[in-house]
Amino acid sequence: MRGAAAGLLLVAVALAVGFGSSFRATAAPAQTADPAALAGGRALFVTGCSTCHGGDGRGIAKRGPSLLDSGAAGADFYLRTGRMPLANPDQQPLRGPAAYNGREIGELVAYVASLGQGPPIPTVGPGNLSAGNSEFQLNCGACHSVVGAGGALSYGDVVPSLQRATRTDVLEAVRVGPGNMPRFSAEVLTPQQLADVATYVQYLHHPEDRGGFGLGHLGPIPEGFVGLVLGLGALLLCVRLVGTRA
Amino acid sequence: MNGSGRDRRPEVGPTVEEDGPSRRRGGVISRAPRWVDDRLGMSKFAESALDKVFPDHWSFMFGELAFYAFLLLLGTGVYLTFFFAPSERAVVYHGTYVPLRGVQMSEAYKSVIEISFKVKAGMVMRQMHHWAALIFLGAIVVHLCRVFFTGAFRRPREINWVIGVSLLVLGIVNGFAGYSLPDDLLSGTGLRIANAIILSIPFLGPWLGSLLFGGEFPAASILSRLYIIHVLLVPAAIAALLTAHLAILWRQKHTDFPGRDKSEDTITGSRMWPTYGMKSTGLLFAVSAFTALLGGLAQINPIWLYGPYKPAAVSAGSQPDWYMGWLDGALRMFPNVEIRVFHVTISNLFFPAVVLPGITFTMLAVWPWLEARLTHDHEPHNLLDRPRDRPVRSALGSATLAFYSILLLGSATDILATTFHLSFNTIIRMLQVAIFTVPVIVFLVVRRICRDLSAGRVRPIRQPGSAVIGRDAEGRMVVEHVDEPDSLADDDNVGADPVRPNKDIRIRTGGD
Amino acid sequence: MSGTQGRSDEARAERRVAICLGLSIVAALGLTVVYMLGGQPQAEGGLLFLALGFLALGLILWGKELLPNAPVTASRTPHESSTGAREGVGEAFARGGDRMFRRTFLVKMAALAGGSLGLAAIFPIASLGPSPGHALKRTSWARGRRLVQLDGTPVRPSDLGVDNILTVFPEGTGDDPQTQADSQVVLINIGSARQVVRKGRATWSVDGLVAYSKICTHAGCPVGLYKADGNTRPSHELLCPCHQSTFDVLDGCRPVFGPAARSLPQLPLALSPDGYLVAQSDFTEPVGPSFWNRT
Repeated sequence: MRGAAAGLLLVAVALAVGFGSSFRATAAPAQTADPAALAGGRALFVTGCSTCHGGDGRGIAKRGPSLLDSGAAGADFYLRTGRMPLANPDQQPLRGPAAYNGREIGELVAYVASLGQGPPIPTVGPGNLSAGNSEFQLNCGACHSVVGAGGALSYGDVVPSLQRATRTDVLEAVRVGPGNMPRFSAEVLTPQQLADVATYVQYLHHPEDRGGFGLGHLGPIPEGFVGLVLGLGALLLCVRLVGTRA
Repeated sequence: MNGSGRDRRPEVGPTVEEDGPSRRRGGVISRAPRWVDDRLGMSKFAESALDKVFPDHWSFMFGELAFYAFLLLLGTGVYLTFFFAPSERAVVYHGTYVPLRGVQMSEAYKSVIEISFKVKAGMVMRQMHHWAALIFLGAIVVHLCRVFFTGAFRRPREINWVIGVSLLVLGIVNGFAGYSLPDDLLSGTGLRIANAIILSIPFLGPWLGSLLFGGEFPAASILSRLYIIHVLLVPAAIAALLTAHLAILWRQKHTDFPGRDKSEDTITGSRMWPTYGMKSTGLLFAVSAFTALLGGLAQINPIWLYGPYKPAAVSAGSQPDWYMGWLDGALRMFPNVEIRVFHVTISNLFFPAVVLPGITFTMLAVWPWLEARLTHDHEPHNLLDRPRDRPVRSALGSATLAFYSILLLGSATDILATTFHLSFNTIIRMLQVAIFTVPVIVFLVVRRICRDLSAGRVRPIRQPGSAVIGRDAEGRMVVEHVDEPDSLADDDNVGADPVRPNKDIRIRTGGD
Repeated sequence: MSGTQGRSDEARAERRVAICLGLSIVAALGLTVVYMLGGQPQAEGGLLFLALGFLALGLILWGKELLPNAPVTASRTPHESSTGAREGVGEAFARGGDRMFRRTFLVKMAALAGGSLGLAAIFPIASLGPSPGHALKRTSWARGRRLVQLDGTPVRPSDLGVDNILTVFPEGTGDDPQTQADSQVVLINIGSARQVVRKGRATWSVDGLVAYSKICTHAGCPVGLYKADGNTRPSHELLCPCHQSTFDVLDGCRPVFGPAARSLPQLPLALSPDGYLVAQSDFTEPVGPSFWNRT
């Protein structure tokens, strides 16, 4: 219950941060974070993360990767979306309720950011919806599907749906490349293009469904199911009604 | 006496109508047919048409479902042609749908966006068209199953069976052509695969691909060609074959299930006029109604979300419509072998995408002759088989359905994987095993069930076996005699007894 | 008594039919209003459903409850013609045909005339598309041609960090869809991951960057799905979203799962003097799905 409330609050904060700011989104908890936060973060890291990532964040073979280059963006993304900490290192990290509260995440992010030269939490301006549409179709649709519904990877790994991905989530994920996701550098996807993509992903949370129920936006499979089971099924019942004597 | 004079003054002519009281109405109603008959002599045909008897079983109306869905496709399709532009010309969109404003796209894609967002009733018409296509092909398959499992394809109805199979093929072809027309990401991906399939045909592939597409993929003329195929060539062929299908049905009359008072020489049911005609017209509106319901409430193919086709883009979860799904599934499940003999490469695609449908539709088309040869049953039949009385045919049909259902499931591997948290690798491996085992199991199980049902070892709920019930002296009902299940039902030689004894309850009254 | 019963049943049925038709009228009028107000797809579909559905229900009830419903038995007239008529056809055919087919020379000439017309028709049909020639075996890549993004920006090796992926095209081909369709390439930075380098391909990559044709060797879909990194799982895989063919990027894009039978062709990379990525040559084999004379 408290976790859910905290999650909601986080989402609200993230949304506020994402939408409310125009030219500078989030203040990156950069290397200049205050020493108290760093100390708090380190304490949390040792208890919660070091089993897999090592006490110094250099990673442990077969358990967890080095976090030296993960930066504030990586730490913030994994912690806020509840992907870390992970109970079993063989699992694919998936979105869930965040295990830490907002202050704790801030401290952990500051600590991880201080470990190396990883990317800060990206800050971008407002995006253009239709430009984002084109970029999304070319760069993201192959894995996340063009409607952001997600998809399948080999051997049970999944591409997450973007239904709950906040603007900040998108910005961070594109630069960090969490898990199996490739990274996109600023040369490949410029800050403006990144802003466009993030804007389009927000649109995909509630896309224009002018045709009615979206059927999960999963395309011809649910459409065929509805057409045959509901459409043809109803008609077969009609035939049953028409074709039998009163 | 000339004809026009008779028309003007029927009351003095030799054929005075009897309905004196409502002369005015009766005049119109009786004069029109006479006017036609004077010129075409159709009265005899018209009378037999009005009196035509349709048998009483709901399963005889599956074909009508397909027919009415086709009419609906024609109606909605004609409306769409007024607004659709089959052109690859690049244009920039400036319409009401904001996420596509300023995006470059083909004129075809833009026109479908306009149909969806701007044209009055366009969205509903477009979605009704698409849903009706799914239902059309579904109804054809259900109709085909009914005809197959009851043996309605046997002599003298082989021609209509072949026409029906042709209609199925044409329906699938036209469905795919329609799916490809909007030039969105999904339709472009489908065309890309279709192009690869054509290329896979040994020796002819590259030429055929170039001739159909007008050059190397994606070639600039494919949309206009598909358009004329989709709105003229195939629909005209469907309409012609459908006419022949119905004319032959008319000539040969329906089949009928065996039962009391049924015989090879008679047909029992409702007359066309007015009862059956009224109910069937009701069915036409029912098909339209449910299609409209889906068309208005269930979104299908939201191309504005898929975006215009770009050769380098693709979406996860790209699938064809269900009637092509079995082919897509076969493509996914086929092992990754490619044959090379000397310098000739036989593409991996050739077997699941060309050979498989070739065998499928050839086997379907020749089945009436194949079965007649196997069973030595060359007699004409008007009375149907009950599926249980033909265990081998029913088992074969069920196994075939199982085979294609597994292929269809194969086209959903990625959706199944994400929906049920499985690995698509595991799913494909499982389906590869299932495609060989499940049909065999289905065959054995269905054959067993049919034999048991037919032999009367298992009592179906609503089909009592053969018994004679009489009344005794006090008027009580008593079972006088129960027919032993005949040995033929357990015999593989299913055609040995073309006209089966009618299994039903005969009620005798009185003390005879 | 049964007569009265029947009449009141009929009256009830008539009322039911009338109600259905009335509701259909109301829904149709509602639909008119919706259209007049500008239209709304869900309202249109729903009202159309009601209008057509109640019409359907009304007619079906009318047919089932108010029209003659007793089973009628009609005889099937045999549709075969009489023996005499059949023989008549044969005779009629022979009457004219015998005299016609006696002129075997003319029959042969007529057949030849038909065949010649067919021969002539090959040429109009052939104009439907150009001869495939070598088009399927070539792409627009050539020695020294730069790799550019969709918007035409050339690419430097430093543009792609580890685990970055980018779709690139040959420079100077603009928006041409045919070029995009056969020359699209995925450029991937595999970083320091250990690669099985194929014979003769040692010099084909630049700074951990490898380039492969983006067209699936199975059915031609863009192989756009890249499973990067991945710690303990199989990774560095390109997946085709159409039929799940999986290619191992660290092993020459060898197919490791799914229906694809051949590796994705690799584009040999080099660095131009001004530091941009260029192709060393075209692909050394045809890209995309197989066709009979690809080798």
